Amino acid sequence: MAFVSSGYNPATPMENRITDIGPRHFEEFYPPVIKANKGKWLYHEIIEPGVLVHVAESGDEIYTIRCGGARLMSGTLIREICDIADKHCDGYLRFTTRNNIEFMVDSKDKVEALKADLKDRKFAGGSFKFPIGGTGAGISNIVHTQGWIHCHTPATDASGTVKATMDEVFTDFQDMRLPAKLRIAMACCLNMCGAVHCSDIAILGYHRKPPMIDHEYLDKQCEIPLAIASCPTAAIKPAKHELPDGTKVNSLAINNERCMYCGNCYTMCPSLPISDTEGDGIVLMVGGKISNRINPPKFSKVVVAFIENEMPRWPTMTQVIRRMVEAYASDARKYERVGDWAERIGWERFFEKCEIEFTHHLIDDFRDHAYYTWRQTTQFKF
Amino acid sequence: MAEVEFKGKKFVVDEDGFLEDFNTYTEEWVEFCMKEEGIETLTEEHWNVINILQDYYKKNGIAPMVRVLSKLTGFKLKHIYELFPSGPGKGACKMAGLPKPTGCV
Repeated sequence: MAFVSSGYNPATPMENRITDIGPRHFEEFYPPVIKANKGKWLYHEIIEPGVLVHVAESGDEIYTIRCGGARLMSGTLIREICDIADKHCDGYLRFTTRNNIEFMVDSKDKVEALKADLKDRKFAGGSFKFPIGGTGAGISNIVHTQGWIHCHTPATDASGTVKATMDEVFTDFQDMRLPAKLRIAMACCLNMCGAVHCSDIAILGYHRKPPMIDHEYLDKQCEIPLAIASCPTAAIKPAKHELPDGTKVNSLAINNERCMYCGNCYTMCPSLPISDTEGDGIVLMVGGKISNRINPPKFSKVVVAFIENEMPRWPTMTQVIRRMVEAYASDARKYERVGDWAERIGWERFFEKCEIEFTHHLIDDFRDHAYYTWRQTTQFKF
Repeated sequence: MAEVEFKGKKFVVDEDGFLEDFNTYTEEWVEFCMKEEGIETLTEEHWNVINILQDYYKKNGIAPMVRVLSKLTGFKLKHIYELFPSGPGKGACKMAGLPKPTGCV
């Protein structure tokens, strides 16, 4: 397509430049009922999976229909969402912190028409465009990252693993049968963008080989001290290297015995690529939460050290997740999150009930703090 | 890696326009970058920032932190942006011939 100018003049880039205006104020986009009753809500109810009602002091009601969103969406799909909002909700809608879509209507008789409309919409391949659900003690959307769509440090894909997992647990998105809400999160490397470290079940991309060193370009592309300081186990040191043509260059040496393949050094230095088809895969973590309800927030803990990348459906990974969800659903008490449950029954029982193998990889060995994760008591179940 | 030519000098650059090798830097490079960085005339203050960045890089092997750059030049961050509209990383470091900033930028 030919170039179409927006009015920006590259010859005078600072002319007519608008800056530091921040986001639009959220009140500009409030549905009227929300605006009128802000700060005056009395109570709410979950009418059915995916449908909420909030009642205000004035007696006003607002019904919310929550639908799953793939998070990665085209402009076309956003327009379709806008069409639905125009048709049923006077043009208003919102997205949740788990990237679900919420349509709000101000009376009960509008709910059924909106639900019927949403249920009818499917992609050509057959999947629901706007599946209703994600409320209460079920499984809501998966917070995830960029994966092979856009990032340069991933060890696995985000959108693919998330689609495979949500297909596996779809009935729990549309149901509220679990003891408490179960949050699944996904991050494609251990930068852990998102909520992996604090979710009930977490999918995490993981490498198993040390980085390769591109000696020829390293000193040109990288600030060597940054790469050294980026290593959590101090496996990297500066070194001179002789190229095949005899020139001596500044470079790095990696102690493979100390490297745990985190990939931090590649983040800082493009000459240390680390991803590997066979080496890369997935780690599963379990038992994190961020709410303060009953128990304080917890970090999630590694329970499966490695699962291969099996594109495009990651069957081994989804099966393990399925086993964990089922064991939790049948064994935990009401209101118990996965971490609460595992700590009550003991982690040795957790592994037994979920039929997960315990390997030495799961035993913490990172610095002093590892000691506190070992068991300094005789209290243990056989 | 693409090659650009300016005033008889050749520079190898990456897709973001950073010099591939700090050692290939010459003063022509700064003149070449001026236009796309939105700088009309190079003042002494521009050269001051560039020289300090280069000295620091030669000495320490890294680009200085923004606070250090402010302290060494005596310019507040706001003034550095006035000199280099794309900022100290994309603007000043690029013109000084330093490697491209990395990490979660």
